[in-house]
Amino acid sequence: MTILSRAKNIAAPLIFGVVFLALWESVVVGFDLKPYFLAAPSKIVEQFFKNTTRIWEATVVSGTNALVGLIVGTILGIAMSFVLSRFRFLSQLVTPLAISLNAIPIFVLVAVLNNMYSITSEIPRRFMVTLVVYFIVLVNVARGLTQVRSIHVELMRSYAASDLAILRKVRVPNAIPYLFTALKVAAPASVITAFVSEYFGGSQNGLGSRITSNIANSKNAAAWAYVLGACLLGLAFYTVSIILESLTRRGQSK
Amino acid sequence: MSAAANISAVEVFATSKIFNQESDKQVDALLDVNLTIQSGEFVSLIGPSGCGKSTLLRLIANLLEPTQGSIRVNNKTAAQARLDQDYGMAFQQAGLFDWRTVRKNIELPLELKGWDKDKREARAIEMLGLVKLEEFGNMYPWQLSGGMQQRVAIARALAAHPPLLLMDEPFGALDEMTREYMQGELLRICAETSTTVVFVTHSIPEAVYLSNRVVVMSPRPGRILEVIDVNLGSKRNEQTRAADGFFRSITTVREALRGTHAEHVAANAIRGAEDR
Repeated sequence: MTILSRAKNIAAPLIFGVVFLALWESVVVGFDLKPYFLAAPSKIVEQFFKNTTRIWEATVVSGTNALVGLIVGTILGIAMSFVLSRFRFLSQLVTPLAISLNAIPIFVLVAVLNNMYSITSEIPRRFMVTLVVYFIVLVNVARGLTQVRSIHVELMRSYAASDLAILRKVRVPNAIPYLFTALKVAAPASVITAFVSEYFGGSQNGLGSRITSNIANSKNAAAWAYVLGACLLGLAFYTVSIILESLTRRGQSK
Repeated sequence: MSAAANISAVEVFATSKIFNQESDKQVDALLDVNLTIQSGEFVSLIGPSGCGKSTLLRLIANLLEPTQGSIRVNNKTAAQARLDQDYGMAFQQAGLFDWRTVRKNIELPLELKGWDKDKREARAIEMLGLVKLEEFGNMYPWQLSGGMQQRVAIARALAAHPPLLLMDEPFGALDEMTREYMQGELLRICAETSTTVVFVTHSIPEAVYLSNRVVVMSPRPGRILEVIDVNLGSKRNEQTRAADGFFRSITTVREALRGTHAEHVAANAIRGAEDR
């Protein structure tokens, strides 16, 4: 029964994907669309396997930027959320700023950052990823640290527990699922930010810049092959975040 | 129990509690409450919703400070008694920590007292035996039924062997069958550990079945209307629920409560008349 429903869960999107690709292929072939207009899936796959080494190199560059930003942003976000949950007045100062920063597409800042560093530096891109991840982690973890059940706090007070003990035994464990929710959002966001940051200049070594340069040279199928690489990278980040979550969940419900 | 009977576990002197004093949201929760509870007694607080019975319990627990009056627990100030963990507390929700196993939940108050690991573990296993959940120690709270969770909460409240147990409608969320079973278990546990209990409830039969004395409170502002002695002896069981004395006490408590009800209706009628 469960095996059957699981098979269904896997088969349905798989069939949908295959049908979609077949449709795409037949439209390109049937209407004789030119490669610079829309590349056929078969050509994209062909390009992907022809350029595996270069796609891999570009993936390593973008992936490293995303990973460094993800790690640094997560650490800073967690650290700041502790400070904010301890000093509520600070959070009243910072929250409007965090919200307004989230409301604008902040990766345009990378254009400004690029001017501050040498043209081949990866620092502006990593900084950009850090910033995006930082706010996602900060907002979620701060929520997990503060939104604890009142009965738990009352219980701890009845045990004459110190604020530090309440933090360690109630707030931090409560915030852990919030951290992994944040990572599930932040992991794909870090990859996207790493790509998009490459559109604003700098060295032409990452997946994002390879996509633009291939499009500029009308190598549409090759560009799509890099897009495929980008998809796989984003998927890898997301999968790792989900595995991490399930490892730490230890059979918790809710 | 009889030797300890003359030591007071809880003394409440002329205590009032006013929330949001001198603002337009002022609520007079409790008015001039005096109550003495002897060591080893089981005392229920009963009254209509909002009569301040939970507030009184929280004042005894020192989770709230009285506006007027003073409270002594175990011959100490309520604040000192809280710092010394002289009481355990259980609420309507079990309030267990989802990320801790059942055993680790019971160990929590002991951790905060600084007990070492072996001692904690031994005590937790002892408490699991007391509430008859020996084989559930390594499960997580959400794997247990509501009644079992509440038993874990009681085990946790009693883990440090406090002389006093404060309970705020602990069986309010349970079905009738489980509820009666839990009442029997609570009496057994309290007799085995000779714990004093202050028990907040909405249910008249529950209050009568469990208590040596039932404290009947008025609607807001909460005052003590009557303290009713329940003479059902110290050994209570399922036959007690069918005994004449049980029904007589229920009637007495009901009439005491209805007295407040009648006053309430009369007051509303007068108010209604004035509005017209």
